[in-house]
Amino acid sequence: MTDRSVDSDAYGKQISRRAVLAAGSATVLTGLAGGNRIALGDPSKKRPKIAALVTEYRKYSHGQNIVDRFLGGFGWESCWHHPEMDVVSLYVDQFPESDLSRERISRYPQLKLYPTIAEALTRGSNQLAVDGVLLIAEHGNYPKNEKGQTLYPRYEFFQETADLFRSSGQSVPLFCDKHLSWSWDHALEMAQTSHELGFPMFAGSSVPVCRRIPSIDLPWGAEVEEILSVGVGGIDSYDIHSLEGIQCLAERRRGGETGVVSMEALRGDSVWHAMRQGSWESGGWDPALIEACLCRSLSLEPADKSSRHTYPTPEDFPNLIREPPVAYRFEYADGLRATMLLMEGLVQDITVAARLKNQQDPISLLFYLGYGHEMQPNFFSPLSHHMERMIATGTPPYPIERTLLTTGLAAAGIESLWQREKRMDTPHLDVQYQVSEESTFRRT
Amino acid sequence: MANPQRKKLAMIVTVWDWTSHANHMGERFLNGYPRDGRWHRPEMDVAGVFVDQQPEDDLSRQRAETHGFEIYPTIAEALCLGTDSLAVDGVLLIGEHGEYPDNEKGQKLYPRYEFFDQIVSVFRRDGRAVPVFNDKHLSYSFDKAKQMVAVSQELKFPFLAGSSLPVTYRLPPLELPLNCEIEDALMVGVGGSDAMDFHALEAMQCMVERRHAGETGVRAVQLIDGEEVWQAGQDGRWSRRLLEGALARSDSRTGVSLIDGRPQDLVHSGELEQLVENPAAYFIEYNDGFRATLLMLNGAVGDFTFAAKLRGLPEVQSTQFMLPPMPNVTYSACLMGKVEEMIASGRAPYSVERTLLVSGMLERCLESRVGGHHRLVTPELDVSYQPPQASQFCGAIG
Repeated sequence: MTDRSVDSDAYGKQISRRAVLAAGSATVLTGLAGGNRIALGDPSKKRPKIAALVTEYRKYSHGQNIVDRFLGGFGWESCWHHPEMDVVSLYVDQFPESDLSRERISRYPQLKLYPTIAEALTRGSNQLAVDGVLLIAEHGNYPKNEKGQTLYPRYEFFQETADLFRSSGQSVPLFCDKHLSWSWDHALEMAQTSHELGFPMFAGSSVPVCRRIPSIDLPWGAEVEEILSVGVGGIDSYDIHSLEGIQCLAERRRGGETGVVSMEALRGDSVWHAMRQGSWESGGWDPALIEACLCRSLSLEPADKSSRHTYPTPEDFPNLIREPPVAYRFEYADGLRATMLLMEGLVQDITVAARLKNQQDPISLLFYLGYGHEMQPNFFSPLSHHMERMIATGTPPYPIERTLLTTGLAAAGIESLWQREKRMDTPHLDVQYQVSEESTFRRT
Repeated sequence: MANPQRKKLAMIVTVWDWTSHANHMGERFLNGYPRDGRWHRPEMDVAGVFVDQQPEDDLSRQRAETHGFEIYPTIAEALCLGTDSLAVDGVLLIGEHGEYPDNEKGQKLYPRYEFFDQIVSVFRRDGRAVPVFNDKHLSYSFDKAKQMVAVSQELKFPFLAGSSLPVTYRLPPLELPLNCEIEDALMVGVGGSDAMDFHALEAMQCMVERRHAGETGVRAVQLIDGEEVWQAGQDGRWSRRLLEGALARSDSRTGVSLIDGRPQDLVHSGELEQLVENPAAYFIEYNDGFRATLLMLNGAVGDFTFAAKLRGLPEVQSTQFMLPPMPNVTYSACLMGKVEEMIASGRAPYSVERTLLVSGMLERCLESRVGGHHRLVTPELDVSYQPPQASQFCGAIG
């Protein structure tokens, strides 16, 4: 692979602001299609160039996992797949001792490190000189606020990028890893900016696109009454993964996404108290949905440690978890009820179950992320695949509004905990969108 | 004691300690298991148990106390529950793990045939037979395995055997179409012989048995190892394209990936040959002319993957046979679900001839290994059978 000359209309997929504004508001709900669909692998087109903006590039960081997949490829279907585009510029915000960016630069001649985001995007010229941007601001040493949120500079990276888009008079597709920001206001502005400037953008967790066991989706257009996830980790870092897992199913329900009207977050004993209520109406959740989740888990802590796999009752849960449990209970505008449970130690994976109208048994599934560092985190592969497709075709796999909403849900849940588990109306979360019927998780 | 309306089981095991197959297979009938998003409790009870070896960390006595079954000193008594005639509705023969000698071929001489013989002695004596499940291969000896299948046919009892790999989750949930024409197939496995190569061979067999006209048996086998394996790949005896397809399904992290996290293309980077400790290739030639290869690649990967080229489909078909993690090892629930199905319905969900053939393939391959890695003609492996119409693995779609 060699460096290639700057070509502002390489691949023909930069979308001018005027073109997108002309496309009208109808594109907002399904993501911006743009007018230039380019088939992957079209030999008549030059290879797109990508800038990656990462907080840190060390072993197992998101930056390493994603950018490495563009540099060296990854197993995809029955091949070792090399993306037909090149990461040519890199901005790295922090360089811990374990930094790998310099090693990667030495091994990939087309890749250059730039001291600022603007320079990474312009590659030393006066204007935008890449065809796509990967914004990966997860991991690194950043301060936390009083609510426990790590202040990753996603918004700041995004703003610098958008400023450059504006000054260059052109924009290119952008992927933002995980939630858009710790702040709802930031996230809303980011989504609005992508629409205003008319560039394709998607964001979020790998959970919605990873393999599922079983390999199923929520039936498109189903009537869903209640949905619940059982996941791992803590607030701000892992709640977003579970929330995205819930949302990528819930958004397929009849009528599409309607937004969320209220949030109540619980922690510790409040979760056990709610669990004992036995139903949503009583302040808890449907216990059948918990059973469905635990029976999809492949890492359920045995109730009896002398046995390998024994089913724990809710009375056993407090003895099996390692961290105080967390619950986010939230209600959608169309009446759908949702509960996100973080039960670190009871399980080591993320499962979800949903009760559909007029169906006796809930549907349930595991989001398969592998187990531990002895395995390649190949859940990054479908996410990388979607980034590649968006950069090649100009079409995001799903609307940015999904992650806008989950960002708002995470922030609202943390706010509710901060306000001593106060139930809050969330009129700002009136995020409406419609996804297409085709599933976007890794099925093949 | 058990409800008289519920079926009773006998468990005949070599050893019952932590992580033994008795522990994670047999205990599904004590504790239940996850199935289709529910905790399923089989409508049957373990009533009589025979344990051949009881080491210090034996669990059988504690389990007997907790779950209310009896441990008997003989297999016949375990089947008769202390009465003078067969008193159970199904038998689990779990002859895996325990201290048993190895033979010169490297096979562990688990007494499965001997246990089976004692089980069918009771059946013969009482003129009545019940379904039997035999964990893993039928025997280290194909001759013994063949006798076991013949007796099951003579006495007309449902007989199921084999590995959990054919019924565990697949990533993705690939099933080859019935009667497809397979041009070439390659399985990649890991672990020791003769425990883990058996799993890999049976996983391969459950895929390739779906080819046109069904299984016809095996006419020759050969096992080579060391550098010759790579040379054989260069000579086209096995397909590097299929190896790429199989390893594209691997989630293993080895070599430089462990150092700096990068995903790596083992097949094309040259790293594979560096990482594999002692490669082995098991070449299987079938009676209908079809050929398939198992590669055991210890050191390079940690999982079981498969790839095949089908006539008429340009893309290689591939999948990973997923082995869920400790302590749940949920693949064993997938297999015990099939055992429960057989005991409840009186019908084995797939043919025991699959395991018979694989038992023979493995034994002959190991003979090839100890006999100078020569190709062995195997007219005795003329085992024909038809695969199940419906998919049998956990998470199958449709």
